[in-house]
Order: sequence, then C-alpha cells, then structure tokens
Amino acid sequence: MTSVRKSQLNRRPWLSTILLYLGVAMMLFPFVWMILSSFKTKADVYAYPPRWIPSTWSWDNYQKVFDTIPFLRYYWNSIFTSVVQTFLQVALSITAGYALTRIEFPGSGLYRRLMQSSMFVPAVVTMIPLYLTVASLRLIDTYAGIILPQIETAFLTMLLMSFFASIPDDLVDSANIDGCGYYRVLTNVIVPNSSGAIATATLFAFLGNWKSYTWPLIITNNTYYRTLPIGMKYLVQESSSEYQVMMAASVMAILPILITFMFTEKQLVRSVTLTGMK
Amino acid sequence: MSLSARKIQIGRKTYRLNAVLVGWSLLLPSLAFMIFIFVIPLVQVISLSFSNFSMITGTGTNIGLRNYRYLLNNDRFWNAMFNTVKYAAFKLTVDTTLALLIAVMLDRNIPGKRFLRASYFSPVVVPVVASSLIWIWFYDPSVGPFNQILSFLGLPTSRWLFHENTALLSILIFSVWKGVGYNMILFLSGLQNIPDSYLEAARMDGATEMKVFFKIKLPLLRPITSFIIMMGVINSFKVFTEINVMTPDGGPLGSTTLIVNYIYDQAFTSGRMGRASAAALLLFVVIFLLTELQRAINAKKHVDLV
Amino acid sequence: MKKSLSLILSLILLLSLVSLPALAEEEIKLQVWYAVSGTSGETFTELANRWDAANDGVSLELSYSGNSGDTATKVSAALLSGTEPDVALMYAGPLYTGARGDLRMDEWYQAGDFDAEDVYEGMWEYCKFAGKVGAVPFGISTQVLYYNKDIMEAAGIDMSTPPATWEELYEVAKQAVEKGNINNVPDFAGFEVSDPVWLIKSMFMQNGNPVVEVHDGEVVPVFNNEKAVEVANFWKKMVDDKLMPAGEHNNAEKKFLAGNSAFIAASSNRISRWTTTEFGLGAIEMPTFGEKSVALGGNVLVVLTQDERRAAAAKELVAYLASAENQAEFALKTGYLPTHKSALEMDSIKEAISQNPMYNVAFSQLAYAWAYTHFDEMGTMDMFLWTAVNQIEKGAKTPQAALDYAVEELIMEMED
Repeated sequence: MTSVRKSQLNRRPWLSTILLYLGVAMMLFPFVWMILSSFKTKADVYAYPPRWIPSTWSWDNYQKVFDTIPFLRYYWNSIFTSVVQTFLQVALSITAGYALTRIEFPGSGLYRRLMQSSMFVPAVVTMIPLYLTVASLRLIDTYAGIILPQIETAFLTMLLMSFFASIPDDLVDSANIDGCGYYRVLTNVIVPNSSGAIATATLFAFLGNWKSYTWPLIITNNTYYRTLPIGMKYLVQESSSEYQVMMAASVMAILPILITFMFTEKQLVRSVTLTGMK
Repeated sequence: MSLSARKIQIGRKTYRLNAVLVGWSLLLPSLAFMIFIFVIPLVQVISLSFSNFSMITGTGTNIGLRNYRYLLNNDRFWNAMFNTVKYAAFKLTVDTTLALLIAVMLDRNIPGKRFLRASYFSPVVVPVVASSLIWIWFYDPSVGPFNQILSFLGLPTSRWLFHENTALLSILIFSVWKGVGYNMILFLSGLQNIPDSYLEAARMDGATEMKVFFKIKLPLLRPITSFIIMMGVINSFKVFTEINVMTPDGGPLGSTTLIVNYIYDQAFTSGRMGRASAAALLLFVVIFLLTELQRAINAKKHVDLV
Repeated sequence: MKKSLSLILSLILLLSLVSLPALAEEEIKLQVWYAVSGTSGETFTELANRWDAANDGVSLELSYSGNSGDTATKVSAALLSGTEPDVALMYAGPLYTGARGDLRMDEWYQAGDFDAEDVYEGMWEYCKFAGKVGAVPFGISTQVLYYNKDIMEAAGIDMSTPPATWEELYEVAKQAVEKGNINNVPDFAGFEVSDPVWLIKSMFMQNGNPVVEVHDGEVVPVFNNEKAVEVANFWKKMVDDKLMPAGEHNNAEKKFLAGNSAFIAASSNRISRWTTTEFGLGAIEMPTFGEKSVALGGNVLVVLTQDERRAAAAKELVAYLASAENQAEFALKTGYLPTHKSALEMDSIKEAISQNPMYNVAFSQLAYAWAYTHFDEMGTMDMFLWTAVNQIEKGAKTPQAALDYAVEELIMEMED
C-alpha cells in the first residue's frame, strides 16, 4: 500500500511548485517592503523616485518606538490579555463543541442558532451597550474588563465542531465499551484526536486577540493596562507622518507570532493523526 | 437503575438524563458569556432601534418604526448594501477558490513546503493598519509599484483606489491577499484529515489526480468548505477596518461605502445610535437569510460519506 | 458570634463612610483625556505635568484617548455611564457640554476666567454651541498654502510677490504644471489640498457666502447660494484644467512631500512636522476671492465632571493650559496657533517668526480666522459636503446640483 503512495510522492509536481513560488513572491513582497521601510529615514519614505533601499541603515526608528510609547509595558499587556483570552476561548469552545456534536440533549439546536446569530451583529453597535454593562460592574481599567467582554466563542466552537464531527464513531464507541463516560471521552478521545484542529483554533483565537484595538481603548484609561495596538495607533495618528516608526513597531509586533508559527505550523496542519485511522 | 440509564422525555423525544446533565454543564460557561456579550447588548440594540437615541445629547424617545422606514427609503443605505453584496460575492468566490487551490497544491510533495505554508499564511499576522498603509503605497497612481510595473509592460495604468470603477476591486485584491492564508490553513487541515487509504485505493484503480480531487477530496472537504463559506458570508458582510483605513471617506462617489461603514458613520459621525441600531438589525436579517439559504442548499446536496 | 460579626462589619462600613469624604478632601485625582499624539501629545502632557507639580492636593492621570473619532466614541460612552473624565482635549468639544445643556464653561467665560478679552474672537466662536461658550480653544489651526521652492524656481515663478487671489494662484499653478515638473511624473499637480471640506468652507466665506446661518436660534445651511456655487465652479475649473487631480485628496500630502505637487493647502501644524523635506519649503497666506478669511480647525478643552469640587480644580487646570504663555509655548513646539492676541508681543514668538517666516504666515491669518457655531448635525454636514465635492470633481453632478442636494439632505436630517 505505502509503495503506491511513495511513487506518487516521488513524482515532483513541478507545475504546482512553480506556481506556488511565483505566488509567494507576491505574498512576501509587502513584508520585505515593511522591513526595509522600518530602517528608512523620513526623507527616504517620501523621496521621488521611490527609494527601495534605505539611504542609511540605522536602528533609529526602533529606538524611537521605545522612546515614544511604553512599548514593553504594552507588549506585556498584549501578551497577557491575549493568552488569557485565548485560553478561555479555546477551553470553552472545546467543551461546547463537544457537547453540541457528540451529545444529544434538548436545547442544543437552539443554542447552535443563538451562537450562529451572535456573529451576525457588527461590534460597532453592541460596543456601547456592552460598555455600559461593564462600567456598571466597575471593570473599567482592569484586566477583567479587557478580557471578559472579548470571550467570543461562536467562531471557534463552530470551527471545532466541524472537526469533532469528523472523528469516526468507532473511536468513541470503543472508548464507551472501555467504560469511559462523557467527560473521559472528551479528554481521552476527542482532544487527543483533534490536536491539530485545536492548535489551529488556538492560533486563530490568538491572532484575533492580538490585534484587538477598539475595545481595549475604550475600556482602559491607564497606561498600565493598555495594549500594543493602542500604542501603534499613537504612532500613526497624525496623518501617518511617523510612517517609518510605525513600520518598525509592526515588525516588532509580528515577530513573535511569526516565530511561533514557524515552530508550530507542522502541528497546525496536522489534524486527526491517530495511527490506524490514516 | 443507574443515573446514566435513566431517560427523560421532552416534547416528543426521549433523552438520556445523563446526556442532558452533561450536555448542559459543558455548555453553561459558554452560554453565560453568550448572554453577557451578545444577548444583553442585543436586547438594548433592539430597543434602541425603535428610538431616536442621539450619542450627542445622550437622550432619545421612542419613535416606532421610523428608523426602519428611513433606512428602507434611503439611497445611501441601499448603496452601502449593494456595495457589500458586490464585495461579498467577489471575496467569497475568489478567496475560497484560491485558498482551496493553494491548499491542494501544498498538500503534495513540494520542495520547501514549510517555507511556503508559512509564507502564504504570513499576511494574516500583519496588523491591518500596517498592511493597509503598505498597500495604499502600492496602489499610489504616480509612484506606486503596480503602475510602474503596468507601464513597464506597456499596459494601461489605473487610478486604483481613486477611481469609482476600481476602488472596491483594489480593496478586494488587498483583502484576498490578507485573508487567503487563513482559509488555506483550514483547507490544509481538512485535506490532512482524509485517510490515505481512500486516496490510495482510488489511485490503484487508475484514477487521475483530477478525478481524485473531484471524486474524493472535494466531497470529503464538505464540512470544512461549508464552514469556510458560512464564515466568509458573515465576515465579508461585517468587514470594516480595512475599508476604513484604505478609503476613510467612503471612496470615490461612495463606491467603497460598505454597510458597517455606513452604520459606523450613523452612530459616531452623525451620532444617530437609534438609526445605526436599526441598520445593524437589517444587516442581521440579511446575513441570517443568506446562512439559512446556504444551510438549505447544503441539506439538499448532502451525500452520505464513506 | 454572628451578631458580633455583623456589628463589626457595620462598624467598618460606618467608618469608611465617614472617612471617605475626609480622604477626598485631601487629594483630588483628575482624569484628563487627550486626543493628540506625537509632539503635540508630548507637549500637552509636559504642560499638564507642570501644573500637577505646582498644585498640591490635586494630581492628574493623563490618558491618550485615540484619534478624534475614537475619542468621540470613548467620551460619549463614558458620559452615558457616568465614567467621564474630568477634562478632555478633543475635537468638537462643545457637543459634549453645550449640547447636553451644560453651561458652566459659558459662566466661567463670562466671569473672565479664561482671558476672554485676549483670546481671538473667532476662536470663541469655534468653542460655541448654540451661541454659548462650551469649551476653551487649545491646539487650534488654520490651513496655510505651502509651496515647493524648487518647483517655483524651475518654473520661473517669483514668490516674493505671492498670489493673493485664487485667480492669481490659478495662473501660477498652471505655470508650475507647464514648467515645474522637475521629477517628470505623469500626474504632477499644480495645487492640492488634503482636507477639501475644510478649504471649501473658507472659500465660501471669502466669497461672502457663509456655510450656515443662524435664524432665531435655528441653524440653516446656505452653502448652495449663488456665491457658493461660484466657488464650486472655480473648484471644478481647477480639476478640468488638470491643475488638481479629481478626488485624490487622501494622496495629497504624500504627493507634495515627494515633490510632485507645487502647492498644497494644509494645516499650519505641518510647519513643525515637515522639517526634513528634500526640497525648499515655503508658505504663504491663503489666497482669497476678495475678503480674507480662513476657517478654524483643531481641538478644544472641555470640563466634563459634574462634581463641584473636581470641576473647580478642573477649571483651574484648563485655565492654566489655555493661558497666553502656555499657548505660545504649545504653538511654537507644535505649529498650532497661539490663541491669545498678546502672544504676538512675546519675545519667544517674535524670535520664532524671525527665524522661520512660515510662522509669520500662520500667525497673521489669525486676524481673519473664523468659525461657525457647533450644532448636532455638523459631522453629518461635513460628510455631505465631502460627497458633494467628490461629485463635483468627478463630474458626477454639476456644482449647483451637488450643493443643492447636500443642503437638501442636510435640512432633512435636521428636521428628522
């Protein structure tokens, strides 16, 4: 059996390879430009004809980021709030997703509808009512005030549901025969068999939380609790006159995500991997 | 009789008591957040939609259905709705097709696969504000690289973001660039999910790669595909930030004013929170109908797998 | 046991009730939000911190509140829930005081707390809602006309006698397009403006046509009268004759900085920001259609707290920040305008003018800067005007039709 697979694999799909590498140039072009811009001087940015390579290479823009905003404080807050939010969102989505796909109980259909509709309303209109609730709970300028109102689980739950549903029934049945109850099935069958899907969900949740801007801005006043996107906005506000500094801040903001991604992407695209299934 | 064996009857259906208890206990935390973040604000949004609540004075009175009547007779609202439909249709088609194509190609024995996957995903991680600024520069009619390349090739150049015929398209190209990696990752994990034995059996029978794709991969990707399409509908109807950064004034002749931008302007530029709430609820109805439609189509086409 | 516990608890509660006001008597902590960043943000916090250091018993908590849109959202949300800041530096401030019936700023103004006499009359207009002062000017600017000296030289334009009317500017810009395209770009602009709505309001006024009029306390838009249409026709001519690109104002600033535009109308605060241009930068007063006139823009300070003691402290802070000396200092560091007439007599200002003549241009426009009173639909009006200008430039509507439609739509909104 495997020999067929091997021979298939050994034939390199050259057309696909060429196409993919052509596409990659397009995907990465903006990146290269961002990195180059982060080293430019203000004059370089606006020069005509356009200057691709900075006239002098210096770390001034990076230094300026640290001088202008409490970058490390913001960075820490972003990491802290994003990690906590992501953890809560993923944990809630796993349990809810499991219940909705694998357990038959009254009200599950109704919840599914409710969950789906929660994604239909733009945040622009729910923001103010939500703010009023959070303010009445005295959560302004607290981590809880930033984190709790952003625990949206609909997207992640539905994503995980589509994976949980594809786990073969035999796996669950054999666990049942071994005497596993619902909770044990969740921890021993569902979670280990969806590690890839859970990793994907975690990444998506983290990315969503990492870029979150409007809510943290309106719910915090104290620099101590503020997050990176607010700092970035501070850098561009005045008609993007600090374009190059903004680029330096962006490079620093995405670096940890890119590095994490590089190390975990193998995990991300792997889904159900139990031997015997594949 | 043990707890897990006990049955209860609700309506016409019988459930295992244990299942009911476990099910709800697992759902409860999510439900609590759902009520806090969505249900309570939604109730307020609904009641606001029947008022002329003003963000400027902070007061409002009940005006019945006037907001809805206003919106349904307003050119700007319909223009925004129409633009959104255009945007969504294009984005959905191109984004999904391209993501699937890339995922299928990447699922094969390509040299430098890991590098490629990371590269196609990388635009997703760049903050929208930073990447929009970069693309605005790309689209610059006089000094941007796009026009430079076009004129180098002897092709006609374009005003990109500044012309009513190309502005929305320019934003679309940008958002496909930005978002294609997201769906690609989802398709890829779906593809990895397909047991090798199915593919091998087909190949042994002499099926071409094309046939394997259409007869095996595509049907087995159905759950993830319908998820991606549904999320695509929802997200493209709610798109806001990139539009607002790239064309802050609604674009040439209003051609890039999408529905959420319209709602934002009503709520915060004009301070008419009541009207904005009504518009958001109309948007709710539109998205609801579209996802129901998708559900119906899906149910019809449903094939028993394996 | 239970009884004694509840006794202790109620005692603690009582004590805290007694001691809370006593504590508050000693220290007031004022929340201050500001919507400016960069040099302006730094200078603002520097001034505020100076006041903080000099005042025992009051301390400040300064907080950046995002750009003008974000700040408006934040302030309105906070006002609804009673978590508003004590003081805010923001755009359209009078909408958050006067429009809500809060007239304290006007009382203080009447009582002479804010150097009422010394501050330019136009700036007070900029701070009014329905005829009452609702804010104090801080970080105000007008548009000035910047030009690229290298282009002028190449085109043989003598700027020692600058164009004073729009017709003269038209001729000069035409000359610049013909001979001044030194970078040889395909779409060189003779004239551009980054905020067309702001500029066209000034031009209406110069031609003797106000933007809105107040009849019996009612605001009435009048920017579709004959004189305003004349202005719009001129605007259209600039586009038709290829002096100004149609509907590319978002790109105007970048184009000018790249040296591909001869003139640009932009806020006076660019004087302090455009310090590293690769070409010679100059500025002149806004051309006119007859009457000299420029519309004011920028931010204002408001006191939002409803607590009397806090408001008293907040008023002191606002008065300090808006004083002649501090306004002069802020102006010199940021390129915004000094708000006091007496500032022009100060040595620091005189010296700055002698070193950088662009300051002189910006400051002399103060004599004829004006504003219209704030009203609920002013944000809506700007939106409609933007649409109208865009339609005129793109030829989608005639100037008359575009302005008529905008006025019609606005009146409907006001009546709704």
